[in-house]
Amino acid sequence: MQWYDNKENNSEKEMTVKIRFFARFRELLGTDIVIDVAAATMFTHLITTIARKNPEGYAAIFDENGTFHEFVILMKNGKRIELTDAATTPVADGDEIAVFPPVAGG
Amino acid sequence: MFSERELERYKRQMMLFGEEGQERLKKAHIFIAGAGGLGSPISIYLAVAGVGTITIVDMDVVDLTNLNRQVLHFDRDIGKKKTASAEDKLQALNPDITVNAIDVKIDESNAVKLVGKADGIVDAMDNFKTRYLLNNAAIANEIPFFHGGIRGFYGQATTIIPGTTPCLKCIFPKAPPKEVFPVVGVTPGIIGTIQANEVIKYLIGSGELLTNRLFIWDGMQAHAEELGVERNPACEACSGMTTKKTTARKK
Repeated sequence: MQWYDNKENNSEKEMTVKIRFFARFRELLGTDIVIDVAAATMFTHLITTIARKNPEGYAAIFDENGTFHEFVILMKNGKRIELTDAATTPVADGDEIAVFPPVAGG
Repeated sequence: MFSERELERYKRQMMLFGEEGQERLKKAHIFIAGAGGLGSPISIYLAVAGVGTITIVDMDVVDLTNLNRQVLHFDRDIGKKKTASAEDKLQALNPDITVNAIDVKIDESNAVKLVGKADGIVDAMDNFKTRYLLNNAAIANEIPFFHGGIRGFYGQATTIIPGTTPCLKCIFPKAPPKEVFPVVGVTPGIIGTIQANEVIKYLIGSGELLTNRLFIWDGMQAHAEELGVERNPACEACSGMTTKKTTARKK
């Protein structure tokens, strides 16, 4: 966190986060995506941006209104982020973000 | 007490957990929900390990498309009830245990009754609707729920101790849509044996259970990892339960 605090004074305030997709999302979008983002980037915005690179991947995660499918699980550094909070939750430098669907087969 | 035959049969594993551990397995009753891809390795390994009573529930008939993964059923069983096929195989693998195979659809009205006095529920279902019912039954009976799920080369597993760990609803509040999922037999083989391993550890009261952790398997990368999971204080299924200290079965 010290690193982050130091960067607070940096005028660009660029941050690096890592996005990890799992299961079907991984097949469509890859995983361990390390990306630089501007300060105050919100979760939903970040994941939307990455998912857009593959329409099928986007459709797997978001519905036609651009809202997360209700079964999608979002985690930030091992802690769950509620889907309803994702649009207003900013990512922080060094965050590791996990996005996954439950796998339902047996 | 064990027969000479049983002492011989379990000799190699009693090197690990002694006659006392074996006795615990023998006295246990485990409920396996499903005799399909996950149910096959789970029931096979629990049967040969000597879990004294196994109840296995399924409502389907063996279909040719099942046979790439449901190793409990053979080509000659096509058209037979999965429960009949499962009972035959499990008793043939180990005649010293009791197998109750019940041909019924698990629903809201019968879930708790079917589970009865079982010491644990193993999730070998192929849909979240029934998983949530089993999750509720585990909470109602205060017994563990050994979750597993698979798709393609991917799988997940966690061990739920109601009142202590997150329940299935805490981790997965909403079910994904139903689908005909792609799968290759090795994936339920891997996840199912992890679930069976959890049951054995729980029953003998040793080791570290897969609690508060979601195990995630990516067969394509041959990579396993885990995500920490937490109870949801507002969980509609388990939020009323108070936290308990025990995570393994009492000795």
